[in-house]
Amino acid sequence: MSTREQTGTNARHPFPSVVARQILPARASRVVSRTGGYLILLLLTLASIFPLIWMILTSLKDRSETYSPNVIPSKPSLAAYQFLWSQMHVGQYLWNSVRVTSVTVGAVVILASLAGYAFARIDFPGKQTIFLLLLSTLMLPGAVLIIPLFLQLSDMHLIDSQLGLILAYIGGGLPFAMFLMRSFFTTVPGELVDAGRMDGASEFGIFLRIMLPLARPGIATITIFQFMDTWNEFIFAATFLHSPTQRTLQPALFALVGRYSTNWPVLTAALTVSIIPIVTVYLILQKQFVTGLTAGAIKG
Amino acid sequence: MRGQRALYGYLFILPTLAFFLAFVAYPFFRAITISMTEWAGYDQPRYVGLRNFINMAHDRIFWIALRNSLLFTVATTVLQTVIPLLVAVLLAQRWHWDQVVRTALFLPVIISMVVASLLWRMIYDPNFGVLNSALKAIGLSSLAHPWLADTHTVMPAIIIVSLWKSLGFYMVIFYAGLQAIPLDLYEVASLDGANGWQKLLHVTAPMLWPVTTVVMVINIIGGIKVFDVIYVMTTGGPNHASEVLGTYLYVTAFGATGGGSPSSGYAAAVGVVILVLSMIGTYAQLRLTGGRSDVY
Repeated sequence: MSTREQTGTNARHPFPSVVARQILPARASRVVSRTGGYLILLLLTLASIFPLIWMILTSLKDRSETYSPNVIPSKPSLAAYQFLWSQMHVGQYLWNSVRVTSVTVGAVVILASLAGYAFARIDFPGKQTIFLLLLSTLMLPGAVLIIPLFLQLSDMHLIDSQLGLILAYIGGGLPFAMFLMRSFFTTVPGELVDAGRMDGASEFGIFLRIMLPLARPGIATITIFQFMDTWNEFIFAATFLHSPTQRTLQPALFALVGRYSTNWPVLTAALTVSIIPIVTVYLILQKQFVTGLTAGAIKG
Repeated sequence: MRGQRALYGYLFILPTLAFFLAFVAYPFFRAITISMTEWAGYDQPRYVGLRNFINMAHDRIFWIALRNSLLFTVATTVLQTVIPLLVAVLLAQRWHWDQVVRTALFLPVIISMVVASLLWRMIYDPNFGVLNSALKAIGLSSLAHPWLADTHTVMPAIIIVSLWKSLGFYMVIFYAGLQAIPLDLYEVASLDGANGWQKLLHVTAPMLWPVTTVVMVINIIGGIKVFDVIYVMTTGGPNHASEVLGTYLYVTAFGATGGGSPSSGYAAAVGVVILVLSMIGTYAQLRLTGGRSDVY
């Protein structure tokens, strides 16, 4: 049996079955290994999504049914979600997360584009030194900064303020985003910049009207990366924000466990609500998502 | 004209540089300074030189945390390199529904560590968790276990969560690496009479080596600074059995549980240890990849 016959579309893979044909051993065992392969892939898929499916199913359970070993609820209800909305201010936490995330992402995208462009396309004294300085802390573990940042935000009277958290997020996100944008800008042909300068366009005009539209893939990448990073961030948010009115979703979820550790429908409903925005964006922009996150790989 | 252009350069980088200096560089130097003080966080810090670091030598919990951090790092680096690599090689062999598999494997990657950890805490629950229920259902109740409450199983249980969450991420990196191997190499190998396994060993493996080193280094650095998954699942318990440097730093600084007065100076010193270890990891990357710091 040829591997090619088994597959539908060739368009998706620029490199047809080469890896397959080269790696698999003798032809005779191929049918067996195909079946075994499908079995492994099925198990992997189930292992990846089962916890999430279990989470959704549990959130639909009646509280009395929480601890029954049945995975599927006998009488599905949205009671847990109603409780979350009316009693747990989940709407407030969602809004707080949306606000903190959108301001952070917006600021990082704008500032990193400007700086990335300057590092890629404008010459100025000290450029290399400043660039290396910004990159020197790319691998810096957040744990190292948490104590001094807490002190600094206290000094600035920005503890328990979303503004303080946002400032810390922007500072932490910018060097890497700038680095990515710079590499995108270096791939745009330099002639375009020179032509713009010949035509007497200002540096800002060149940036805004010529370079920025060409760097759209880069902007998509850093937007997604920063969105994920900020939406999912836990420890800075848990440490710098205290009051429930300020709190973002991740620390709120953690706090919820302390109070509702035995009410699994409410707990799983909260987890489900918290992942809806990010899963929605992922399913719509899947390709960009994967690119954005793997590009962020080096940040670790 | 040139001078004016340079001025724009400075103008464009100014906000980024300002944010960096105020919220990364300055706190960074402050962290080093604090690590050399004795300070509870509210009183006056007192300079003590390297005493915090010397005290670590006699701190039993510090050694447990260091050991667990290294254990977690080694275990996750091995598991989260080998398994994603095998899955990527398997997936690259053209299957029906392969896009569905990749979408599913990537789902745990995009959810937050807090959500993943809370979810698995419920799965591992000794009485009502779905893991023990499943074991009982298939007649293996002798294997049912308080996974997170037993000092012997807590670290493996957490490592499994880390693997579950990151498998899709590393798999995608390997998958991209596989797609980038030129086909000619396989054709040449075929002409030379190489069989499937020989090609895997002599073509695929060496061509994937740069990607593999990147994956390993991300794993190493991520392992050294691990925090969220352990803090949310066990806060380092039971009895420090899952304590790592990150959780020890946090609990020491902010006194989350277990009482005792917070000790910011000592916690900052633990942070410096994390920093030094991750610098060793970064250095390893530079050596292994010959200075290449890019995945692609």
